[in-house]
Amino acid sequence: MRLVTYLVREAFTNIRINRTTTLIAMATTAFTLACFGVFLLLYLNLRGVVSSLQEDIQVIVYLNDGLSPQNVSDLQQRLNTEQGIASLTYVSKEQALADFRAQFPSELHLLQGLGENPLPASFVVTLGPQFRSSESVKRWAERVKGVPGVAQVQYSREWIENLATVIGYIELAAIAVGAILSAASVTIIASVIRLTVYARRDEIEIMQLIGATGAFIKIPYLLEGAVLGALGGALSLALLKGGFELFKLQLGAPGRLLGIDSGFSFFPGHISLLMVVAGLLLGFTGSFVSLLEFGRAKS
Amino acid sequence: MIQLFHVSKYYERRAALSDINLQITKGEFVLLMGPSGAGKTTLLKLLFCAEPPDEGQILVQNRNVARLRPSDIPYLRRTMGVVFQDFRLLPKKNVFSNVALPLLVQGASAFEIRRKVTEALKAVGVDHRKDSRPATLSAGEQQRVCIARAIVNSPIILLADEPTGNMDPELAGEIIELFKTINARGTMVMVATHNRQVVDQVNRRVVTLNQGKLISDEGAGQ
Repeated sequence: MRLVTYLVREAFTNIRINRTTTLIAMATTAFTLACFGVFLLLYLNLRGVVSSLQEDIQVIVYLNDGLSPQNVSDLQQRLNTEQGIASLTYVSKEQALADFRAQFPSELHLLQGLGENPLPASFVVTLGPQFRSSESVKRWAERVKGVPGVAQVQYSREWIENLATVIGYIELAAIAVGAILSAASVTIIASVIRLTVYARRDEIEIMQLIGATGAFIKIPYLLEGAVLGALGGALSLALLKGGFELFKLQLGAPGRLLGIDSGFSFFPGHISLLMVVAGLLLGFTGSFVSLLEFGRAKS
Repeated sequence: MIQLFHVSKYYERRAALSDINLQITKGEFVLLMGPSGAGKTTLLKLLFCAEPPDEGQILVQNRNVARLRPSDIPYLRRTMGVVFQDFRLLPKKNVFSNVALPLLVQGASAFEIRRKVTEALKAVGVDHRKDSRPATLSAGEQQRVCIARAIVNSPIILLADEPTGNMDPELAGEIIELFKTINARGTMVMVATHNRQVVDQVNRRVVTLNQGKLISDEGAGQ
């Protein structure tokens, strides 16, 4: 127990004594992780947006004109037998016209001169979560198109699919940037620890001469690296949170009006914790690498 | 206790030690004499496993140091105390913490550390400076702290490399007296020196090296 206390105290003493190098290592780790965090934040938010947009996907099944109420009822029953339907709402010609009038009061002149109500009756269909992929919706629409009484099936997936593709690219970029920045972080922390180790090589030699094992000498440095990394991770979170709040503030009223601001959210608790743990692991790895190199150089 | 069989050590093809044969038994006091560059420090380095020999065999407490695994070296070193001319104390730790280190690395209890460190500091006469940093001590005091660190875990072997170098004769005499006291308690002591006055003061076995060769071994068995 005394040994553990000594090793932990040594690590924190090292940090306190080498204040400048500690601050540099911590700040560098923080900025490196923050760069990665920006990508992660962007990726998570866009994925959230796509997911919520996919929930809103509706397929509109337009009906032929002149169907009797019985035909409409039969068609509704027929559609209800289709797999994957979460909800199905009938919109009559009259309802469609009323909706149009309510939504576009300034465009009413478009309907003038067309005589009777030109808008078709329709079923507004919401598909279940498992049937919202591009392929599933396409297959469903193709099948329903052939049902007697159905004039046309319309769904606007294309732009959502495009967005999903863009997010896929962002995900790839985030992974690539994350890998590069992680390597940079390890290198930086390794360099800082190497400097500390080099500055204290006499001390390490003395410890070796009095019979200290490799583990006894290395543990404080590994702890130091881990603490630096974790602090860097926490600082990166603070930077990201600050930047995030600033961004939301910049969006201001226009963002609120468009409903964009409510769509953005910061990292949930477990991701925040993961950022700190990632910093900790990076710091530990950096120390480990530098101690390996030091051991090799000594031998 | 210590046996060397045809031991040689080379640095860039130059022999720092050449074909050394030596046996030192338990409880002996040996002075390692010779001018600078004679190979005294190299011989001590081989004994405390800081470097391996290039030729020959070294047995320390019946263990062949050339065949020791790196992970075993710390455990052999724990049976030895080493005193350096330049003290090699940790500047950021106080006297007590410096002396406590060999016990700490062995996992001694807090009680044991306090008792043994206090004893060692008293034995070398610097217990009143236990809270001081090494930089605030005189050369003599620093050397005493270094000796306290070397004897704190009751080593079987004590090696000292020019422990009185850069000291005035009076101070050097005091340090040598300390080694004699430690030896009287049963610890084998080997002191490397080029100071003739030390040889006269100790009056024990003297092994003389010159240009890496053992040229005389006088007073064995004293």
